[in-house]
Amino acid sequence: MEGRKLRDMFGSETKPGTEAEEGRNTMSQAGPVTETSSEPQGVAASARRAKTLEAKKVNLYYGDFHAVENVDMTIEPNKVTALIGSSGCGKTTFLRSLNRMHELTPGATVKGDIELDGEDIYAKGIDPVAVRSLIGMVFQQPNPFPTMSIYDNVAAGLNFNARKLSKSDKDAIVERSLRGAHLWDEVKDRLGRPGSGLSGGQQQRLCIARATAVSPEVLLMDEPCSALDPVATLAIEDLIGELKKEYTIAIVTHNMQQAARASDNTAFFNLDESGKPGHLVEIGPTDEIFTKPKQKETEDYVSGRFG
Amino acid sequence: MPEVRVDYHEELQTLEASALGGLDLVTSQLVRTLEAVEHQDIELAQIVVADDDRIDGRYLEVHQALITLLATQSPVATDLRLISALLHVLKNIERMGDQCVNICKVIPMSGHQPPADQEMVKLILTMGAHAKSLIAQAKRAFCERNVEMARDLVDRDDVIDELNRECFRLALAIGDDADQREWAMTMMLTARAIERIGDNAVDIGEQVAFVVTGLFREFEDASHPADHA
Repeated sequence: MEGRKLRDMFGSETKPGTEAEEGRNTMSQAGPVTETSSEPQGVAASARRAKTLEAKKVNLYYGDFHAVENVDMTIEPNKVTALIGSSGCGKTTFLRSLNRMHELTPGATVKGDIELDGEDIYAKGIDPVAVRSLIGMVFQQPNPFPTMSIYDNVAAGLNFNARKLSKSDKDAIVERSLRGAHLWDEVKDRLGRPGSGLSGGQQQRLCIARATAVSPEVLLMDEPCSALDPVATLAIEDLIGELKKEYTIAIVTHNMQQAARASDNTAFFNLDESGKPGHLVEIGPTDEIFTKPKQKETEDYVSGRFG
Repeated sequence: MPEVRVDYHEELQTLEASALGGLDLVTSQLVRTLEAVEHQDIELAQIVVADDDRIDGRYLEVHQALITLLATQSPVATDLRLISALLHVLKNIERMGDQCVNICKVIPMSGHQPPADQEMVKLILTMGAHAKSLIAQAKRAFCERNVEMARDLVDRDDVIDELNRECFRLALAIGDDADQREWAMTMMLTARAIERIGDNAVDIGEQVAFVVTGLFREFEDASHPADHA
């Protein structure tokens, strides 16, 4: 299955009111219509090469406050990159810049380049809504739309982005997404019931299904297991291990053991002192970060010598 | 409930198999070593010395992978005891390999026409055969997590220790000829090395007990030679 190109979402300079409209139209050309014609019914697509997300000299601000400075980082395709570091070090701020959510905070700005397979996601004319379906996000608190059914929760992104899907095409995507999120068997007989009736772990998997339904290239996860019990956490970690066969994944976690278990690469962020910008101290293969990190700061953090 | 962390469990199983596979390497080295002793085969001895690299390589590779597993999977309970035991067992394997090398290195010292005392040679080969079967038993005890089979290794090793003492007595009585005395010294070093191989096999048995019971206790301690329950 061909990945969608960001430049397919390139509208011309649009007025604010028509931006979303433009996004919907261009996406429906490149997206689900192609996908359903080649997609095997109800079976997760076989592993394919996802895209590389590259940050170059990224600096993030909240108004005048310099929150994150000079991040150079490659988030490798078909791998899980964990972002770790103490509270306030900028890892979540950085994560949210990767799919243009940072700018939703009033006064928040971005300097530097963030590229998806070489294409700048902040380029003029790129629709941020389109970016956010190509680079999806799963949040700490599972947030299924409470009054919508499980089916409609998964299909929510589809409904918004591509009105022209047939019912059978939508059914296929919903099943594929729920299977991919390891949730299908548990909910297939109650797709019409509300999403809020599920356990915490199931709700989080529902949110993952919702994110994958729109065929993203990248999945960003912001502490996806923090609100879950240990068993549900391990189930999600196993799921992430499966998902990376199709997607590029970045996950912010304050649980170091989770980073050690579930990621291929680990990036350690730190603050020199409160009020200073957070920065990237070190990034490397996870087994090296946890057996022989290069920086003493990293060593001190992973061995719990400071919080 | 479906199993989770399958990759981690499979990796641990693979590493256990790889570590215990080192015992097969040791066995093959020991067999060739005994043959080299029996026939004073210097070339075979040299091959054994060179092949010890394979055992060292296995040690390094599995050791590194176990450390990585410790760092990334936070193993607890039996998994943790197993990894600790495998780190010890790897060391035992590496030492057993080195003992084979030690034996092979003294073979050329005997010269081309060694004044072999056949009784001593037979004793050494018998010790070697016992050591070989001890290694097989240690491996099986570990694979099967069989503590009784592991404890039995102590008694089987006692046989090797007794043969070692017998060898010493024969060496003392060997006579005045300088060549003969030199030969007898190398045979004592050989017997000593085989005795050490036996001890390493017993150590592996102690690790079996640790994995299963969580308690580490020496089966037989030289400083407390009384009974071993």
